[in-house]
Amino acid sequence: MKLKQYIFALLSVLFLPLSGNTHTPAPSQQQPIALVGGTVHTLSGEAITGGTVLMVGGKIEAVGLNLDLPAGTEVIDTRGKHVYPTLILGRTTLGLTEIGAVPVTSDLNETGNINPSIRAEAAFHPESNHIPVAAVNGIGVAITGPTGGIISGLTAAMLTDGWTWEQMTLKAPTGLSINWPNMADASARDQAMKELNDAFDSARRYMLARKAAQSKQAIDIRWEAMIPVLEGNLPVMINAAELRQIQAAIAWAEKQQVKMILVGGRDAAYVADQLKAKDIPVMISPVIGAPSRQWEAYDQSYSLPLKLHQAGVKYSIAGEGSAAGASRLAKHAAAAVAFGLPQEEALKAITIYAAEILGIDDQVGTIEAGKDASIMITTGNPLELSTQIEQVFIQGRTIDMTDKHRQLYEKYLEKHRQAGE
Amino acid sequence: MQLKRLFFLTIFLTLSALAISQTARVVGLRDNTPAVFAFTGAQIVTEPGRVLENATLVIRDGIIIDIGTGVSIPADAAIIDLYGKIIYPGFIDMYAVWGQNDTVLASLTGTAYWNPQVRSDFSMASAMKPSEKDAASLRSQGFVAAHLVPAHGIFRGAGAVAMLGDGDPTRLIVKPQTAQVINFMPPRGPSRGYPTSVMGAMALMRQTLYDAQWYKQAHASYTARPQGQQRPEVNKSLDVLSKALDTRTPFIVEATNEHYFIKTQEIAQEFDLNLWIRGSGYEYRRLDAIAATKVPVILPLNFPAPPAVDAPEDAMNLSLEVMRHWYLAPQNPARLAGAGVSMAFTTDGLRDKSDFLKNLQKAVKNGLDEQVALAALTTNPAQMLGIQSKYGTLAKGKSASFVITAKNIFEEQSAVEQVWIDGKQYEVKPQREEPRGNWTVTTPGQLFNVQFSIRGESPRFTAEVKLGEKSVRAQTVRFDNQRLILAFLGDSLGLTGHIRLSANLAGDELLGVAETAAGSIYSWTGHRNEAPREERRQTETPKTVLNLEDRFPSMEYGLTGIPDQPRHVLIQNATIWTQGLHGRIDNGDLLISQGKVVRVGHDLVAPSGSIIIDATGKHITPGLIDPHMHSSIGGGVNETGDAITSETRISDVFNADEIWTYRLLAGGMTAGTLFHGSANPIGGQNTIIKMRWGSLPSQMIIEDAKPGLKFALGENVKRSPNRYPNTRLGTEQIIKDAFLAALEHEKQWKNYNPRSGLIPPRRDLQLESILEVIKGERLAHVHVYRADEMLMMMRLAEEFGFRVASFEHAIEGYKVADELREHGAVPIVWTDWSSFKVEAADGIHHNAALLNRAGVTTTLHSDNTQLSTRMNWEAGKTLAQGVSEEDALNFITLNPAKVLGIDHRVGSIEPGKDADFVIWSGHPLSGFTHAEQTWIDGRKYFDRETDRQLRDQLQHERAILIQRILEEPAESRQQAAPTRGRRPMEDDQ
Repeated sequence: MKLKQYIFALLSVLFLPLSGNTHTPAPSQQQPIALVGGTVHTLSGEAITGGTVLMVGGKIEAVGLNLDLPAGTEVIDTRGKHVYPTLILGRTTLGLTEIGAVPVTSDLNETGNINPSIRAEAAFHPESNHIPVAAVNGIGVAITGPTGGIISGLTAAMLTDGWTWEQMTLKAPTGLSINWPNMADASARDQAMKELNDAFDSARRYMLARKAAQSKQAIDIRWEAMIPVLEGNLPVMINAAELRQIQAAIAWAEKQQVKMILVGGRDAAYVADQLKAKDIPVMISPVIGAPSRQWEAYDQSYSLPLKLHQAGVKYSIAGEGSAAGASRLAKHAAAAVAFGLPQEEALKAITIYAAEILGIDDQVGTIEAGKDASIMITTGNPLELSTQIEQVFIQGRTIDMTDKHRQLYEKYLEKHRQAGE
Repeated sequence: MQLKRLFFLTIFLTLSALAISQTARVVGLRDNTPAVFAFTGAQIVTEPGRVLENATLVIRDGIIIDIGTGVSIPADAAIIDLYGKIIYPGFIDMYAVWGQNDTVLASLTGTAYWNPQVRSDFSMASAMKPSEKDAASLRSQGFVAAHLVPAHGIFRGAGAVAMLGDGDPTRLIVKPQTAQVINFMPPRGPSRGYPTSVMGAMALMRQTLYDAQWYKQAHASYTARPQGQQRPEVNKSLDVLSKALDTRTPFIVEATNEHYFIKTQEIAQEFDLNLWIRGSGYEYRRLDAIAATKVPVILPLNFPAPPAVDAPEDAMNLSLEVMRHWYLAPQNPARLAGAGVSMAFTTDGLRDKSDFLKNLQKAVKNGLDEQVALAALTTNPAQMLGIQSKYGTLAKGKSASFVITAKNIFEEQSAVEQVWIDGKQYEVKPQREEPRGNWTVTTPGQLFNVQFSIRGESPRFTAEVKLGEKSVRAQTVRFDNQRLILAFLGDSLGLTGHIRLSANLAGDELLGVAETAAGSIYSWTGHRNEAPREERRQTETPKTVLNLEDRFPSMEYGLTGIPDQPRHVLIQNATIWTQGLHGRIDNGDLLISQGKVVRVGHDLVAPSGSIIIDATGKHITPGLIDPHMHSSIGGGVNETGDAITSETRISDVFNADEIWTYRLLAGGMTAGTLFHGSANPIGGQNTIIKMRWGSLPSQMIIEDAKPGLKFALGENVKRSPNRYPNTRLGTEQIIKDAFLAALEHEKQWKNYNPRSGLIPPRRDLQLESILEVIKGERLAHVHVYRADEMLMMMRLAEEFGFRVASFEHAIEGYKVADELREHGAVPIVWTDWSSFKVEAADGIHHNAALLNRAGVTTTLHSDNTQLSTRMNWEAGKTLAQGVSEEDALNFITLNPAKVLGIDHRVGSIEPGKDADFVIWSGHPLSGFTHAEQTWIDGRKYFDRETDRQLRDQLQHERAILIQRILEEPAESRQQAAPTRGRRPMEDDQ
């Protein structure tokens, strides 16, 4: 067993980034599992001290005190521990890129500026080393997607454990990702806006042609993918940071009559009232970041969640874009707490708020009966830096808590031991 | 035809009298027309502070022969009445970067210095290519002479003084060799060689000057004793430089900001250079330090245009620093003068040289004394250039080179009317006639005796045509070549149809013809009733005067002074993480006095007069230390021009006047190392600083820290395809080769006897710092990711008998933990960076934990300025991997202090150490904690409460500056804000 483990680790080192990871996906939940005795942070109500969560067939069957457990339930003692829903990584490239400096390991930028039809889940690489890292750090769902051009493509909500991308797809698509043009350079901006508007005009005319009785309209793979957006069933996820971008995007979405999610949102606090009035949610990314202007306060970025919270804007904390940085999601939420956001809010910002914005709150985001049994057992508040995540369940599956980090750690701890400590 | 030829001939002869080489053969007839002029009735400013009223100036053949009142006018003189006008000595532009024939530079090869940026043998005088366009634009601003300086390279060569007249360079040059010119800005362009950075240029400057000193000694030795000695190289660049050093020829160095200014003087002292500095306009920001250098400044009057603020978003993207500079830059000359700095002005740095007078007048309006200003344009440059016996003042025997104005040249809107250079007149502002004004038209038989009222400015005019009470606007008004063309529809005036007129302008008369609608042609005359008025904007309304406090740095969050260092401060009831022998003290007190820690413990007694701070519920840790950062480095973090650049010094280009220093304080960071980048197997010398926000760079450097040198291995150093090394294998070899060369260098010096009279070895700045590493006097800080390379470097160091101080990044440090411990190298690591490149693929979150567990002294670092503002959170992350709280905190306090050799001063809170500490809102390793106060040397540099006040102050300053900018005419304001609203972070993974 040990030898095998070493061979695996060795292979993973030698054949990076082409080989697979060493993390073995868990089988689907066979028998009921009950987490008994811990503090259950449902995030849908008060925490339950000494509570029980019963998971059956991948779903949460019941939550509460002193539940009756079905026969054959595997009981996990969580006394002294904490139970939380798994986290939702709102903005990432997880599964689509491996090593930034090696372009062949990246599937983020398709040719051209307008790619509404490309879909993240189809290239989500289950063997990516970054996926298990996200999973053992408590991330149950990651919203991943391409990042190139103006209309980048379709994002998808992916589970962080599974054998194939099909098994791992929780919901797809979750939105159409758009990079809002830089507003500083007028000619580049005008060119980009024309491309964006042309795409939406074309898609709209295409949709009308397709919907006409006895339509002879040939399928256009790009515009076909945009129909749900134009019908208001799929949001546009607009990446914008600078104030002029955000203002332009709000006006544009209004004019286009599309459902907008603002992603990034660095300057969102300056127009918080408008975002609230137009009911535009913000997926904040990143929280740990630099002020963009020399005069802005040093905590400008850290305090953005608090400002949006106080202004009553719907928001979530989406972490940072890089796949390798997925494990830092909770740190972004913690930083917001350090600068005034209530802890409970910060937790919701990386769980249920994200789920609500993305329309997956019927499945994930809280610990409530009927939702996916995507749950974790921790030593404390998952936002706190010292907290360890002991076990993650994704749809009731007890996942392998070994990622590449732990594997290499154990391997080289063995080297140290052999050296004679 | 005949006439035209004659005209040209006349001009040619006039020129030949003054500007053709004296030794040249005369072609055709000699011109001996008397060149004698008497200027009468003017107010003559002969030199700063000396004015002659209603005086006469007489010049002959380009020389002043008499000046004063009651001067007799020679019979052959042409008399020029200047009643009401003012004559000033002609201005001298002290730093004119034009008029160079670049092809001469390209031909400078042969026995030149190895580096093409060193062209000290280049001479403006031998490559002068006068540009009439530039000369004319300078004349329009009152200049008669310019100190022309070479335009290319780092050692650019010698300047020359030339008059701004027209003609042959042989007659324009006043002084062919003036000063050696140096510029630190590395050349731009795709095929850049060494140096590519400012620090590289500074290192090249020092090495070249040492080489020049050596060159002289070597040749002296060889001349005395050629037998048995190797022939020293013949090198004209070094020859010129060594002579310049010997003769104390001035060196002009261009310093593009106030800190380069101060640094330049420091380097100049090393070589006892006779230094002048071409300043930047930013000197006022560090006035005291600039004045203390006593270096004469060649000052540009390059005041920025009002920044764009029309849209709120434009203004948002402006920094307070930019806005303050816009307002304060015009005060720079006055402030320098007030501080006693000797100045000469230059038009260099102005995009449009014809803005010079306008800016000069602005400087005077901003407090610059007129006499000081005049001296900076006349007597000062003349003296500096050694031409004061003939230039710079107006006196008998001096050059007839002067400026004539209608009113005080330092008053706003005043302009130059004429410039005379060596007795030749240059009309600067031809009194161009314009048709503006009210005209009465007379036609034969009173056909249409109308009035014209012509307004506007060339080329756009409008005219109102009046007849009795009626008036109509002219359909056409054109004025070109002294000819007016005008047409109007006469019906509404009681005339018929379209009436067209044309006329020539002669003073206040128009003489022309007109054609009526009936086709009749008449002659007509016009008489101007009113002198043409300059149709300028009405005198500007006085603008608001702002009282901006001096800030250090002069930007947002800048302080109005260095924070106080109270005699005693007692902080009570805190959880104190001493990171020393006392460990963590709960509910403890910390007493500091005059910048040092006095005592840590329980229930300490406050000495009388103590400031007492209640820190109940708070935590105190030593100030955080980041052993690896790249911020505050000017002019390039990497010197990429060569594989080995150990001669470069970060301290030369360190400038912490940037907002990140303040943000670092806000995150509890009190000290850090600034590193050269990782582009070279052997990079540059690092600098260790304290975040003393607002202080001069020299005051921020920790003087007694152990010096260090940056090495780099792995992917970064083998990226340049045409440069050795291209493999990790070659990297080892080139470092080893440098070590061997350094030892060889040491041997040469050891074997050299100064009394032998033999050629001495050269000083080699590159090898000297490498030798210090081998001898253990300088720490080796090695950028590396992979374990195999760490092993290689440790074994190489062991072979040469020294220890690697640290491995920077050490992504795979955990793989060789035991080897690191045995060698004694400190891994400086991240908590969770990995996978951004192949050699980072095996970065694991447990790196620090495993190293720590194996007994290796371990530290965290940022390598990224934002990360550096939150190192407590970074350390906190290692707790999840099982590191103890005390060890985790050591990663960012005591351990980095140790590896940098500053643990005798900082890194823990212990009696006798510097009072550098942070008061935290809670547990320092919690993600929910922020810094509340940051102290360095017992001075409170950051405080949340003060921060809030600074925010209010900066909002107020921004607001009043924006309002003030809006008082400027809209057309003078910039249209869009620069995209640079932020300063870039310097990353170097």
